[in-house]
Amino acid sequence: MAEVEETLKRIQSQKGVQGIIIVNSEGIPIKTTLDNSSTVQYAGLIHQLVMKARSTVRDIDPQNDLTFLRVRSKKNEIMIAPGESKKSNSLSGF
Amino acid sequence: MFTDEALDSVSVRSLWRKSQQSEQESRDCQTRAVHSAEAGIQTVFTTLSCTQTEPQDQATEQLLQQNHNEPEPLGLKDFLQRVEEAVIRELVRNARSHAFDGFQVNWGDRSQLVSCLHCLQHPITQERGLHVTSVSWSCTGSVIACAYGRIDDGNWSTERSYVCMWNLDRRGLSPSQADLVIDVPTAVTALCYHPSQPALIAGGLYSGEVVVWDTSRTQDPVLALTGMSADSHREPVYQVAWVPLQKKGEFGVLSASSGGRVLVWTVDSDQGRFILNAAYALVQQQVSHSSSVSFKARGSSTVGVTSLALSPWDSDTFLVGSEGGLLLRCSFSSKVPAATPSDGQSVTLRAPAVFSFRPHSGPIHSIHCSPFHRNLFVSAGTDGLAHLHSLLQANPLLSLRVSDSYVFQVQWSPTRPLVFAAATGQGEVQIFDLGHRSLRPAATIEQRGAGQAASCLSFNCQNPHLLAVGNTDGTVGVWQLSADLTEQSPRESSQLEQIANQVAE
Repeated sequence: MAEVEETLKRIQSQKGVQGIIIVNSEGIPIKTTLDNSSTVQYAGLIHQLVMKARSTVRDIDPQNDLTFLRVRSKKNEIMIAPGESKKSNSLSGF
Repeated sequence: MFTDEALDSVSVRSLWRKSQQSEQESRDCQTRAVHSAEAGIQTVFTTLSCTQTEPQDQATEQLLQQNHNEPEPLGLKDFLQRVEEAVIRELVRNARSHAFDGFQVNWGDRSQLVSCLHCLQHPITQERGLHVTSVSWSCTGSVIACAYGRIDDGNWSTERSYVCMWNLDRRGLSPSQADLVIDVPTAVTALCYHPSQPALIAGGLYSGEVVVWDTSRTQDPVLALTGMSADSHREPVYQVAWVPLQKKGEFGVLSASSGGRVLVWTVDSDQGRFILNAAYALVQQQVSHSSSVSFKARGSSTVGVTSLALSPWDSDTFLVGSEGGLLLRCSFSSKVPAATPSDGQSVTLRAPAVFSFRPHSGPIHSIHCSPFHRNLFVSAGTDGLAHLHSLLQANPLLSLRVSDSYVFQVQWSPTRPLVFAAATGQGEVQIFDLGHRSLRPAATIEQRGAGQAASCLSFNCQNPHLLAVGNTDGTVGVWQLSADLTEQSPRESSQLEQIANQVAE
């Protein structure tokens, strides 16, 4: 429990991190450092993107799997680390 | 010998022709008699009640509650342990990477030129030679309202004037005829559209009155008028603005006049009048002077307000520029009573000035707070310079030479943090980009016709490509800006931050 908080704190303290959201396999956010409305918005949108990216990778090569996804925009960057298919995904904003 | 003979006629029966009459039957029917009955009732007593929901922010879904007493979701700890290293590695690499420096992608077509889309004018105002004193875009971004009057008149004038509106998104837009014209008894000196209701527009008149027009009413568009009461201004109102009041969603009208008063009104639309909510008076003695300024003014001790700006970051702060060049930071919640005798006002006058910046050498025509940084604002006046100030320091951070004559209005661009535009007395609009190394303007909009000044300008917040410029020959030009003046580049916010953190020498 404390380890989870510690880990989040370590990631949050990196340079340029605006917030962290942890989402479960259904796309529902379970931990977040951003405000409610942004969290819900990000979680909904990113979940679909991750599912699509993962299915793309696996369709090309079934032995392969998605390890990391980065979406870079003009103003900032979203970095996504997916978990196993039954577990959670994690997102962090740059 | 010849006798008449009478013969029988012969008839031949037709073999094929038969009677066309078909079978026929007839029947009658009738419904049974309809029963009807009548009864009367009357209400003995009535009650009336209404309900209304408050406008609410969008409802957000509930997150799965983070209950600290509950055990963690299974596997969260393991997942984080696994993933943490990778994430931190990528973050560190990102912070050091130069891969995307200067890399820009554009999805849409970029226009390279600044071009004039429309040149709007109205025949009556052209005939009478009225100047455009103020332009304002509606909150939807499609209607532009222009106020006419005179900017060179020093005397009281009783000339009638107009406020004209054009809807630029309409197909039948006619640039030489306004869509809607409102008659006003005196010259209009300030105009401001309501920030959320597209039909309401507030105006300040040369006679000191403040009016709110409702353009959705077909007959008399005047919704509320201050009239000449003890509460109202006695001098021309140079700025009106809508300020949010305590109750969320309600707006009051703020008006500032050269009589030294700043008043906040609430609109009572049923009775068609304004109710004074708060009143501030600026008096020479109460304005805190910085030590470099030590003149003693004789004569009238009021500080005539010629421009006012609200801060979008802090609802308590507002900035005031005066006829004498004083630039002050004021607060709505100040409790200090003003040192003028109150002449029958319904609300006690307060002195709002908190801090005074280095004065300009001439009346300040325009102030605008940056929508991208909480401490920056730009001010311009008759000295032909645009000064960039920080709210925290008395001296300006940067002074740019805009033109050799007066500067009538400056405004920050709503999309690019480093860009602002200035309307000059020589008829040009200079657009400056603080990201450029040189101090020369990034773009200059020259209007045709010599000898006329650009008296006001306004960016359109909904369509950031559009800029409206009003001139003293009574025309309003709507210009389309090029893409590099409207699209934000990646490092602008940090550059603005750097400029703001400079310490003025």
